[in-house]
Amino acid sequence: MEIKPFTGKTIKCIEYDGKPAVDLTSLGIGPERYFEMYRWLVFTRAVDDRGYILVRQGRAGFYAQTAGQEASQVGSALPLQPQDWMYGDHRSQGSQLVKGLSTAEWFAHILGKSLDPTAGRSMPGHIGRNSLHIVPPSSTVGNQITEAVGTAMAQRIKKTDEVTICYFGDGATSEGDFHVGMNFAAVYGSPCILFCQNNQYAISVRLEEQTHTKTIAEKAHAYGMDGYLVDGNDVLAVYAVTKHCVDRARRGDGPALIEAYTYRYGPHSSADDDTRYRPKGELEMWRRERDPVTRFRNFLESQKLWDADKEAELLAEIKAQVAAAMEEAEKSPVPEPLSVFDHVYEKLTPHLEWERKELAAEMAAGAQG
Amino acid sequence: MAVEVKKQTQFTMVQALRSALFEEMERDENVVCLGEDIGPRGGVFLVTEGLIDRFGKDRVIDTPLAEAGIIGAALGMALRGLKPVAEIQFIDFLYPGFDNLVSEVAKMRYRSAGQFGASMVVRSPYGGGVRGGGYHSQSPEAYYVATPGLKVVVPSNPYDAKGLLISSIRDPDPVVFMEPKKIYRAVKSELPEGPYEVPLGKAAVSRAGKHVSVITFGAMVPVAWEAADKMKADGVEVEVVDMRTLQPYDTDAIMQTVAKTGHVVVLQEAPRIGGYGGEIAAFVAEQAIEYIEGPIMRVAGHDTPFPYALEKAYMPTSDRVCRAIKKTLNF
Ligand SMILES: Cc1ncc(C[n+]2csc(CCOP(=O)(O)OP(=O)(O)O)c2C)c(N)n1
Repeated sequence: MEIKPFTGKTIKCIEYDGKPAVDLTSLGIGPERYFEMYRWLVFTRAVDDRGYILVRQGRAGFYAQTAGQEASQVGSALPLQPQDWMYGDHRSQGSQLVKGLSTAEWFAHILGKSLDPTAGRSMPGHIGRNSLHIVPPSSTVGNQITEAVGTAMAQRIKKTDEVTICYFGDGATSEGDFHVGMNFAAVYGSPCILFCQNNQYAISVRLEEQTHTKTIAEKAHAYGMDGYLVDGNDVLAVYAVTKHCVDRARRGDGPALIEAYTYRYGPHSSADDDTRYRPKGELEMWRRERDPVTRFRNFLESQKLWDADKEAELLAEIKAQVAAAMEEAEKSPVPEPLSVFDHVYEKLTPHLEWERKELAAEMAAGAQG
Repeated sequence: MAVEVKKQTQFTMVQALRSALFEEMERDENVVCLGEDIGPRGGVFLVTEGLIDRFGKDRVIDTPLAEAGIIGAALGMALRGLKPVAEIQFIDFLYPGFDNLVSEVAKMRYRSAGQFGASMVVRSPYGGGVRGGGYHSQSPEAYYVATPGLKVVVPSNPYDAKGLLISSIRDPDPVVFMEPKKIYRAVKSELPEGPYEVPLGKAAVSRAGKHVSVITFGAMVPVAWEAADKMKADGVEVEVVDMRTLQPYDTDAIMQTVAKTGHVVVLQEAPRIGGYGGEIAAFVAEQAIEYIEGPIMRVAGHDTPFPYALEKAYMPTSDRVCRAIKKTLNF
């Protein structure tokens, strides 16, 4: 299977019904890797479902679901190595889990507990983990793009063998930071994979209202960069294209833009009402005919690699794992109030020390009174 | 180029800044400079002149014309272990990168609960008096001071400029380093050989006096001196306090000078409303009112955009400072 930029066709490995669309032997992966992929797809969906329940129970203030986009996230994170860096947006949890993020920490993050490595500093969907090279996403749409490119520039300057992947949505491609970042990435030939999860909506705004180009991938042309359009609900295709770009970047052949064409199932976030803007039947069609998890299971079954028993076993195992992670997160205490002053700077400034003392005194008075 | 820098002992601020960059880049290979025209051109004010010859284009990076990219990329570099020193050609043009600076650079340590720090410097010339018009003359320190997570440093002379820049580069937190372009070449000072630090967060009494304190920074320090000279005729001894770091600031130095003189004039080039001087005045009012014997006066630029042809009418003068001094003393 040859992977080429700007073909005008969507790159795809398996059909909607799960039949191979191309000769898969050239991918060089076998059943073990397939099982790993499938496990991550199912796991990401399970973790996402559990996260959303927390909002519905009133235990979290916000949640942006990733359901429907699992193949884009899992397929693009699997080709990465531990030394590689990851910048995400508010809908990147699948990629972060594949990169190694602990599920318990993720739940603790949603609940605003101490176990959250970012200590409850941001609303759910903004977790980061230094040891895994996962930078905490910003809320400001697009800002992560210039930063990711800077990290990739540093990786080149320091002559490392690392690459950086940066996730953003279709809406983000209208922001200045996308264009500035694309330009910087190309000018310096930095090892950056700019990965657009085109789920066709930015909250309610549809792609054709967002941009006048037919695809997002073709925008790469303008920056002298390769652009690839891939079926974002086909985990094998996403994997193959991302691996191709990661390998090129690691070799020193520069950045690439990948557009993964996909669809989100949930509202934009727990604060959104998507019935106001989705055409009738659209969501149902995607769920029924294009679901990334079902599609890959169909593929496995078509290859005689999967059956109902295996499925039941996997679901049970994942259910237990998710429950255990949730239990660990729930046990974690909420952050201590005086920690609100920590990490503004490396050390407390005179003013922060002063304000900290005031809050401590207020708390002591409150405790007495 | 490098050899020349080392031999001389009298430095303008531009030369002092250049030697700080040069020596820090020699000391630590992770220090890199990036910005517009900073390579062969040496920057429009020549602060980075010659650096590219010594350190090459991987460490002296001419960037595309996009401040969001300069600040965003600098942050990404800092996270990956470089020590970027970004140059913004004029601080009036930092706004395309403002979002990256205040939303990302300033908050990275906090948002990540200390896992990631943004050790980087954003250098930029600021201030009026150079016939630069509205887009090459402003003093926007208040925006940056009002952003927790950023440090804001403004030198007023070549000696401090070098020592403060070195401290800023070595600091673990992001520093907005504002260079008073009006005095880039106005004075020379004697500099010791080799690198030295001037600590952040520490003000300096740049002239001692006992009757009134003029608290100021950057290009207004010489204006305060001029006022101090004029007030001598009336037998008034003016103490000039140079804040040097605006955030986090030296509260002890303010307490000491207020306790000594009991009269305060704060002097800034930026418009008065919402300005840094208001912060100092409020601090004095909250923490040191028992020493105060007259109104806390603010001398500032007018609450207008910065005018080109009427620059002289805009800029605070020593006469304005003298009037404020007399007003608080004769209360
Ligand atoms: C600069 C900025 N403007 C607006 C918002 C509010 N907002 C949050 S997400 C979003 C839509 C993002 O769409 P897209 O980039 O396509 O990502 P998706 O949510 O579809 O994954 C908007 C408008 C924001 N967070 N930042």
